[in-house]
Amino acid sequence: MSAEAVMELANVSRTYGQGEATVFALRNVSLRVLSGEFVSIVGPSGSGKSTMLGLLGCLDVPTSGTITVCGKEITALGDAERTAVRGRTIGFVFQQFHLIPHLDAAGNVETALLYRGYKPAERRDRALTALQQVGLLPRADHRPVQLSGGEQQRVALARALVTEPRILLGDEPTGALDTKNAAMVMELFANLRSPERAVILVTHDPGVAAAADRKISMLDGEIVADERKAVV
Amino acid sequence: MSTFVDLLRVSLGGLLARKVRTVLLLLGPMIGVAAIIAAVGLTDSAKGDLKRKVTELGTNLVLVSAQSSVGRQNPTLPKDAADRASKVITVEKVAAIAQLANIVVTPYERAKSQFETVPIPVVAVDDQLPNVLEVPLISGRWINAFDESATTRAAVIGIGLAREFNYLPGEMRTIELNGIRYGVVGILDKVELEPAFDNAVFIAFRAAEQDFVDNDIQPNKVYIRCKNGTETETAIALKTAVNLGGPQEVQTEIKAAALELAAQSDRQLQLIVVSMGLLAVIVGGLGIANVMSISVIQRSAEIGIRRALGHSRAIIGAQFMLESLVVGFLGGVMGVLLGIGAIFTGVKISGWVFVLASWLPPAGIVLAMLISVLAGVYPSTRAARLEPLETLRLG
Repeated sequence: MSAEAVMELANVSRTYGQGEATVFALRNVSLRVLSGEFVSIVGPSGSGKSTMLGLLGCLDVPTSGTITVCGKEITALGDAERTAVRGRTIGFVFQQFHLIPHLDAAGNVETALLYRGYKPAERRDRALTALQQVGLLPRADHRPVQLSGGEQQRVALARALVTEPRILLGDEPTGALDTKNAAMVMELFANLRSPERAVILVTHDPGVAAAADRKISMLDGEIVADERKAVV
Repeated sequence: MSTFVDLLRVSLGGLLARKVRTVLLLLGPMIGVAAIIAAVGLTDSAKGDLKRKVTELGTNLVLVSAQSSVGRQNPTLPKDAADRASKVITVEKVAAIAQLANIVVTPYERAKSQFETVPIPVVAVDDQLPNVLEVPLISGRWINAFDESATTRAAVIGIGLAREFNYLPGEMRTIELNGIRYGVVGILDKVELEPAFDNAVFIAFRAAEQDFVDNDIQPNKVYIRCKNGTETETAIALKTAVNLGGPQEVQTEIKAAALELAAQSDRQLQLIVVSMGLLAVIVGGLGIANVMSISVIQRSAEIGIRRALGHSRAIIGAQFMLESLVVGFLGGVMGVLLGIGAIFTGVKISGWVFVLASWLPPAGIVLAMLISVLAGVYPSTRAARLEPLETLRLG
């Protein structure tokens, strides 16, 4: 297997507070995620999952250590450049969907393509294609309030996909969904695996974790287990 | 460029999503700008007819007249006063006149007793006067060079006199000056800046010399059109130019000066209402700042997701700034329209003349936009500084 690393954490620590009040949210974590992998990060509350997610998503910077995304050391970058890397390479799916309420489904998907020099018509075409991928083309002109939770999450997924990111980052993506919709979203995630893309899901749902090929378990800010599913 | 178009779409979308709030935000700058436009426009329009008259007549008419000093009954100017005046570099047109005394004008013999009681001024003129006054003849012709050289007894009468005599346009009539018949060859239109001319009779210098003046006739007034805006210095220069150190004393007068003064708007009232309007715009700006700040908090999730999707801090800041700016622009435009509507209504009711300085509407819009930009600084900075991690509530 010659897959390249799309995400690399080297001796990463993240602390909050100063002096005696310093709290280690992450302690000296190292991790490599390869292109084509489907990874789940699991752990109880307070295990450092959310901090990990923030760092993986380039939304936060570590207190020490380096993070490299697609060969670019983002810990050395300023906010504006980090934002650019994030927009280019990472697609987000959140537990609470986080759709913009006054935009319709297509508008929400298009938001990910703004300020990238696309013509409006081209942007719309791409958004509709992404919505088709998640089976929501007929709902393109519906506002989030007019959509069910499962549909909203699929719109969010389309929004994450439309930029063709190398890394798809899910934060408890089925957490707010019923079993049926959760299964559907998970199936979509599984289908989104490709040799060019890594899928990383942060969850505490064992079912979600089991769907992934690689399970990283966290506890008290450290990685305690990193298991790969046996290749059949 | 495409980034700006995208930004504009996003900002307009944000405003349209909250229509009632947007309309309420518009009201502040709108009312303020409307008040300013209406205040200036209405106070100007109240003097609009006078202002229009000033522009019509021009402020560049200067009158040079002989000043009476001790021992002189009928002061006169030098005979070549018109020539001398035309030597002043800013002078464009010159016409000399001599007001004649003790001439009884009657339309016909039998009316003598009636018209003796109301003296009618008789004025000796050159061929330039209507040209300098910029007043046309409503019928016939003016005294010309031929009248002068041939000493014809031709007369032009003012419009008031024509009405008094029931003179019909084009009618062949004579008029008697001290019993000497003159043919009326034309009627001069209303002279706004010299109302006395409306009831005057105009004849040629040579005719006056022959029939009414014993000695050499000398002008006592010279009317001058100077280059626009040079009336003050022209008036000063003329004193010297016409007098040339001679014994005659000369005074000058800018004819439209009094009219111009009367046409001045009530500056104090204008200032008060404009200040109130300005206050309204500023308060409106505070309203924008306040509501936008709350909006930033309410929309923190939207800001967070936009940041996560790769929109930079600058873009987020610009998005909110643009929303504020659009509110200011629309408020300004609507305020201008409302203000113009108010002026129209006031003008209609009071029978004034609509006057609005052309720079005011754009200035009103610019003011509203300026205030809205200032109002947008704090909220948009705040929006730009929001940390996506804090607003998205991960995990």
